[in-house]
Order: sequence, then C-alpha cells, then structure tokens
Amino acid sequence: MYSEAGSTTMSHNLHGTFISQKVNKIRWKPERLEESHFFVTGSVDNEDQKIVLWDFIDNKDDDDIYPFAVAEVPYCGDVSELKFLNPDYFASSSSSGSAHLMKVAYAETGEAHIEVCTTWKDIHYFENGESSPCTALAFHENDLVTVGEDGRINFFTAQSKDVARSIDNADSCSIQCVIFLKHDEILTSNLRGQMKIWDTRSESNKPANTLMLSGDQVTPTYLTFHPTQRHIIIAGDELGALTTWDLRQQTFPVNAHEGAITEIQFHPDNPDHLFSCSTTGELWHWSTKTRYTLGFASEETNVWLAPENVKSKMEVLTLMPTLGKPINSLDVSKKKVICGCGNEAIYLVNGIAL
Amino acid sequence: MENNAKTFLIPNDLCRRAGMGASWRPMNEIVVFPYEKRSVKQKDQPTSFASNAPVSIFHIRRSVILFHPILRKLVNESNGVFLTLQASFKTKPSDLKMEILSISRQYRSIIRACLENLQDEVGKPNITVAERSEMHNYITIFYSVECVWHLCEILFIDVIPGNIVLPHLLDWVRFHFPKHERNAAILLASNSEGLELEEEFWPTVFGNLLQGRIKVVRALLKQHSAANSPIFQLVQHLLKSMPTYNVMNNVSVSEFNLQWRHWVMDIQQQIDSKQFINNHNLNLLMRLLTGEEEAWAEIQSQCEAWYEFLAGWLCYSETTVKTFELGQYAKQSIKKMRMQNHLRHLDRVLLAAMEFDMLLVIKEVQEMTENGWFVSHFTDLLHHSGRLSSLEKEVEGFSADKLRESFILDYGTTLVGHKSLWQVGLSYLDHCPKDGLPTIQLLLPRISFDSEAKVHKLIREAISRGLKNVAQSICKVQGMRSLSRGRLGNALTWALKSQDGPFTSYLADKYLKQYISSGELNNTDLLDNLGSSMLASDRLIFLGKYNEFHKLYQEGEYKECGHLLIALMVSKIVPKFFWPVLLSEAIPLLESEEIVFSANDTFTVLHCLEEKEEIPELSDKISILRLAAARNLSRALMYEAQCENLV
Repeated sequence: MYSEAGSTTMSHNLHGTFISQKVNKIRWKPERLEESHFFVTGSVDNEDQKIVLWDFIDNKDDDDIYPFAVAEVPYCGDVSELKFLNPDYFASSSSSGSAHLMKVAYAETGEAHIEVCTTWKDIHYFENGESSPCTALAFHENDLVTVGEDGRINFFTAQSKDVARSIDNADSCSIQCVIFLKHDEILTSNLRGQMKIWDTRSESNKPANTLMLSGDQVTPTYLTFHPTQRHIIIAGDELGALTTWDLRQQTFPVNAHEGAITEIQFHPDNPDHLFSCSTTGELWHWSTKTRYTLGFASEETNVWLAPENVKSKMEVLTLMPTLGKPINSLDVSKKKVICGCGNEAIYLVNGIAL
Repeated sequence: MENNAKTFLIPNDLCRRAGMGASWRPMNEIVVFPYEKRSVKQKDQPTSFASNAPVSIFHIRRSVILFHPILRKLVNESNGVFLTLQASFKTKPSDLKMEILSISRQYRSIIRACLENLQDEVGKPNITVAERSEMHNYITIFYSVECVWHLCEILFIDVIPGNIVLPHLLDWVRFHFPKHERNAAILLASNSEGLELEEEFWPTVFGNLLQGRIKVVRALLKQHSAANSPIFQLVQHLLKSMPTYNVMNNVSVSEFNLQWRHWVMDIQQQIDSKQFINNHNLNLLMRLLTGEEEAWAEIQSQCEAWYEFLAGWLCYSETTVKTFELGQYAKQSIKKMRMQNHLRHLDRVLLAAMEFDMLLVIKEVQEMTENGWFVSHFTDLLHHSGRLSSLEKEVEGFSADKLRESFILDYGTTLVGHKSLWQVGLSYLDHCPKDGLPTIQLLLPRISFDSEAKVHKLIREAISRGLKNVAQSICKVQGMRSLSRGRLGNALTWALKSQDGPFTSYLADKYLKQYISSGELNNTDLLDNLGSSMLASDRLIFLGKYNEFHKLYQEGEYKECGHLLIALMVSKIVPKFFWPVLLSEAIPLLESEEIVFSANDTFTVLHCLEEKEEIPELSDKISILRLAAARNLSRALMYEAQCENLV
C-alpha cells in the first residue's frame, strides 16, 4: 500500500557509527531542561551483552561528529527492553529472565556512569527450572510490569526489591508485548495474536477481556498507545502491518512495512508524528498532513481511526536508505531520531520535519 | 601438494591412553573426546577405560581475527559496500567502470579507517603486552592488504590515460612510505637556516627526490646554509627546469623524451665539468637525475623496499613507462637490490601484480591471514569489472564465476558461525548464485537460539529466501523445547506454525490424556481460539470440538451439546483411548430432565457402545450406559410419537 513511500527519501542529516555490537534497544535519556544528548543502548547476539551509555553532542559547525561511549555495564542476557522512567532511572529486561532498575549517576567530577540499583532476578522461569526470557517491560509512574515466554506476568514497583504479584500461566503461549492502558489496566499480546486486558486490582487470575489482533494468528511484535488518547492502541506485527485500534470499537489494519515491524514510537511531544522501523531495514516517519491537523482535535477524527483515509491523510517519509539489515530499535527526541541496526551500527537522523 | 598440516596437542591423559574421536560441531568447531576404536568382531561391552569419573571434552575452534571488535567495524562497513556493488551490478551492468573504481576506493578507505582505529588502540595505555602485539600483528596484515589493493587498483581497475602509470605509482609509494614527507615537514617547520646540520637532512632530501617531490627537495635545499652559493643556485635552476610529463598537455611522448634528453644532457655537462665535485651529496643528487647506474646503486641502501627504489628509478630514467612494462623493471630492481632470494610474501604479491599475473595475485592473497576478507571482496570486485572473465579464454578450465563464488561462500560461512555477524554472513551467501541457497539451507537450522526473539529472526530469514521447510523445522525444534519446559500451549502453537500434522496430533493427545487423568482441560484460552488452524490434524479437530462441547455444557446449552457429541461419535476421528470418556459424557445428557437425544441419536450411542464394549476401561460403565440409553430411548420414542400425532 505504501510502496511508493519507499522512494521519497528526504535529505536529512544522517550520521552512522559502527560500534561492534548489535543493538536491540536504543533510548534517549530524557532531560529536564535541556535537549537530550545522552542515550543508552542494550545489546543482543554478542558473546557478552552490555548496556552502554553514549553521549552525542550536536555541533552545528562540525559535521564529523560521533557518539562516544561514556560508560557501560555488563548485562546478563539479551536486552529485551529498555525504558526510562524519568530523567535519571531506567528499567531493563533480559532474556535470562531478570529485570533491573538502573540509574544514570554523576561522579563529583561530572562524569556520568551507570549504577545498577535493583535486580529482580529470575522472575521468569519455566516449570522445569530453566530460566525464561523476559520479553517485554512496561511502566506507569513507578509501577512496573514484565511478561515472558513462560506466560507469566509480574507486577512490582520501582521502590521494592520484591515482586508484588505474579500471575503464573496467565497465557498458555509466550507473551510478547505488554503496555499499560491505565494505571490499573494492562494489555498483553501473545505469540498467536491474542490480546488480553488485565485488571491489576482484580484478585482473579483471569483476564478481564480477550481479543484477537486478526483472524490469522499473526504475532504482534510491538504495542504502543497514542500519547494523548490512550484508548487508541497501535500494534505492529510480524507481517509488517500496523493495526490501529480503538479499544472501544474495532481494529483498523494498515499494511505498511515489508518485513516484521520491530518498533513503533510516537513523537513524545507531538502525537501527529509516528515513527516505525522493520526487519527489512526501513525507518519511516508517519506524519499527519498539515491541513488535517487544523481544527481536528476531537478524537472522532483521529486519522488513525479512518482506515480508508489513512493513506490520503498521512505522509510517510523514509528517513534512511535501507541497509539490508534489520533495524531493531528506534527512539525520538525533539528533531533527532536514533536507531540501532543489524549491521552493528547506530544511526542518528537529525532535523526531521515536524 | 604442500604438506601444511598443523598439529594440535590435546593435553588429556585418557585421550592418550584410549585414543581419540572427533566430530564437527556447528558452525566452526571440532569436538574432540576420548574414544576407543572398536571393530565389528569385538564384543559389545563397555571398554576398559569406562568409568564414572568426569571426562573432558575439548572444543577446538579456529581463531578468526575478523571477530575482534575493531575488525568487526571493517566487516560490517565493507558488507554495506559489497551489497551496494551487487545491487548496482544488477541494475546497470553496462555502466560500471566508474562505479567499480569508486567502490574500490571505498573499500580502501574502510581499511585505512580500520588501520587508524588499530593505531589508536595500540596507543592506549591500558592494554596488555599481548594485546598490543596482537594489534601490531593486525596492523601489519591490513597494512599489506591496503598496499596490495592500492597497487591492484592502479593496475587492474583504474583507467589510466595513455597507460602512463608513473604518477599513480608515485602516489602509491608516497602513501606507503610517508616517513620522508613527514620528516620534510618537520624540518621545514623549524624554519631555521643551516638545516644540513640535522642528521635527517640529506636522507630526507633523497627520500623526497625518490618520491618525485621536486618542490620539497628545492624547499629543503633553500634552507641549506650555502643556499645562496652559485652551485646551489645552479642546482635549484636545474631542478626547476625539469620537464614533467602530463597527458593533458598535448605533448607527445617522443617530444617529451626529447625535452628530457636535453635536460639530462645539460646536467651531464655540469657534472662532467666537475661543478659539484666539492659537495658529494649534490653530486650524487645530480647523478641520480641523469639515471646513472652507479649513483642509483649508491642510493639503494636508503630504500626500505624494492618498490620504493623502483618508483624513484623509473621517475628519473623511464618517466613514460607503460603499465605492461612494469614487470620487467620490477624484476630488475629486485635484482639490483639483491633481494631475489629473500622476497617476503608481500613482495611476491606485488611482483605478481606488476607482472599482471592476476591469478597468482589471487592465489597469494589467499595466504594473507585475515580470514578471506581481502580475497573475497577483491575477487568479487575484479569479477564485476570484467577483468576476471577475460582470463577464462587464456587459462583452460578456469571459471571466473566459480572462483568468485568459492571465496564468497567461504567468507560468508565463516561469518555465519559468529553469534552476531550471522546475518552479515547470510547476505554474502545470498550472492552465491550456485551454492548459496543450499548452504544457507544447511547452516540456518544449525544457528543456535535461546529466545523466541531469535527464533523469529531465523524463521524470517528462512521464509524470505523461500526455505519453508527450514522455517518449519526450526518451529518444530522450538515446539519440542516448549514441550520439555512444560509449556504445552506454546508447543502446540509452534507445532501449528510448523504445519506438522503428526506433531500436532501428538500434542492434542497430550491434552486429552491430561484430561483423562485430571478431569480438566488445560489452556482453554488457546483451545477456545483455535479457529481455522484446527484443521492441521484430525486429532486437533477432535480436541477443538471436544473443548467446544465442554464450553456448551458449562453454559447449559444441552441441546447443542448433544448434537455435537453425536456428531463427534459418528465422525470417526475419536481416538481409541478417549472412547470411554466420550461415552461417559453421554450419561448425564441421556439422563437430563429435558430430552436431549432423539431416538435416532440414542441408537447411535448404543451402536457405538456395542462397537466399543471390548475396551476394558468401559466395563464398569456399560450397564449404566445401557440403562440410561434404554430410559432415554423410551422417553424419546414416546415424545416423538406424540409429536407425530400432533401433526
């Protein structure tokens, strides 16, 4: 449907750096007053995994700039998710079944380093004692939730060292994604495309609601919600389709990428812009055409919920020529998009049009 | 054939006493273990070495320098260039000349960046001695690679106007012997007169002369304390008037040669009139310019390598040398330097290149110990430039396609063996038209995985190459793994993805047997939503339908329930071990207050009962079933008769 979008390559300021490790997750460190320049990466597929803090200081006069590694910590498995809870703390989940809370701390000399604050060890495991990969992590303020291949959901808070509650066998298949819908409601998706809504206050170990992504048992690969209208969920799946979804109504699939979608991120400050990347190495910027944004603030006219019109109302820009390797992760802050690619490189696209 | 077998000692006593066995372990490992050889005639019993003591098993792995973090940058970056070349070859195979040259330069700039990174690393204070020597080793290797590639680019890839190779050759030498330029810069920067007091002065003057940097030579001579003397002025004048050849100048080669001879004659006259006799160095300089044999013999000791000498010598005696004449001059300079008998590997490759023996170059390049990075990218480039296929006519039985493919196949396979570079490796195998796909087919299932995220990646790679059976077998492995972890639902999902009927049936049986033993159907969230995937096997259809039956029963939809049960009984897909359960399920329905089964339905139940009465587990239920069926039959018959009467 959007094949023509692939050819509209915008001329952006693109920096690539080879870093000798494959990045699975990449996240800007949000800052309180200034623009983000630190970011963290979590690796996958290496002999030894690590989480690295990078600094990428923009310099208008000098084009030849590279991010440099400020600090790193070894990690106990593939980094399956990284999320900043606030400008200082971030949470991570690992394929070895553990989750961690880490902090970007500063020494007296001003140098930044990573501090491991809390480890929730082996919170995902199989009946036979093997550890199970923790596949995803979500947070709402200080509440955290992790899901894993063992079909277990764990709830805990950032302040506590213990898991507050876990639902064993929440799903008979591996759970792939999780997001918070409200402070007391989460949405999980499993290998077969079943989506379950759980009430975190409920005593019962049964989901409040179960839905299917589509009839074809397609595995969702990433879930995200609209920043200002949280009942609107966007799911990316292994076949490359974006499915928009008003939880109160029904689903609206949009065929998009060639390969499986690896991540979807709304622009944190501007929900009219969405970014997605895929295993075929595409990095796309979806933006609402300007004339539709004026005066259409009401949710009924959210462009994502008008499938037949999405194409005419959205512009899709390719941010990077494809490199033939998957793009595993992306993040966006102000006008800067960073992504981690399967060719052991990270790329910064500067000056995206908002 | 050369015997270059290597011997590795396995430090193990049991291996020494019993003997050893070995087997391949994917991807690039050999596993060695103690093993006693037995013949068919010997008795089948534990060997005398068998014991309960722990036994060592050894993994032997080839060390691949390309997996070093710094070199991985080179691997990944060059992969991008490689793919660009393959893509542009596909789209516009006719107009590749300039593209090929630019690709070649990109490869070289990647090597240079890599050398820079290695130099930086060596300079770091916190590395061990072993690491430092390792870095030095890499630097030597990639320095040679760049050196050979650069020369080959000049000779085989670049299009040189008029075949006048000298300017390029000088560029090449200048890059690889940067010492003189650097020294000159240091000397000139000091900006003091009387530079000749510096020890480095004259070697630097001659070094730059040999690299054809006349301007630098003149600048240096100007800083000599006697620079204003008539003799130095004369030298400056002669150097300034040296004719230079440039194809663009519209000067023919013969015309240039005439100018050159005049200029040399001029200098010769000055030498003969003993103008420079008081200054040995100036005298030597002038004699070098005239190409005098003895003078060149005198200077050769200052040259680090024969090719440094060669470039300088050609610069002042054969300025218009053509590419195809290089070989003979190369041999002459090697002879002059008396190096014929101690040529290093690098020397041999360079000589082969100058002699235009492309196959020998490729053969020698293979010996460079960088795991095939050079030879595969270089051969691929030559192949696309068309240089390699032109050899097919000259050499019998030589196929350019096959040669290129064999190198790329090897290189790709090496990379697939790495935990992180496997996808890069696959992209090389994709460009082996003959054996690439079969190789991928063999390698993909052997890549290890410990998370479903990796499983998904592998499956995607398989599907995108049309290797459905590989994808299915990976699904099956993950299915078995889930089963052993007690995740039956997940196992079933993977079994369905693998489209393996028998495996699905096996798992469906597990559910049914669990139900028999525990009275509960597990994973109903999955079973409720099987949808069309139920059709994968008869047993799964049965399981799905049976689950539906349960659901209807719980919801109190007894009529629907009864229909479904009868449909299942006549369907012929009921597993033998499940008949007792299925028939017992009929009892409450037969006994229900409301009539569920019609007379015909009841006959069906009775019929099945007759057929299955041999099943031992059913023996205690038969009488109850018969009674219930008889009672229901009577009720149903009466009810149906009433209905008929009403009509």
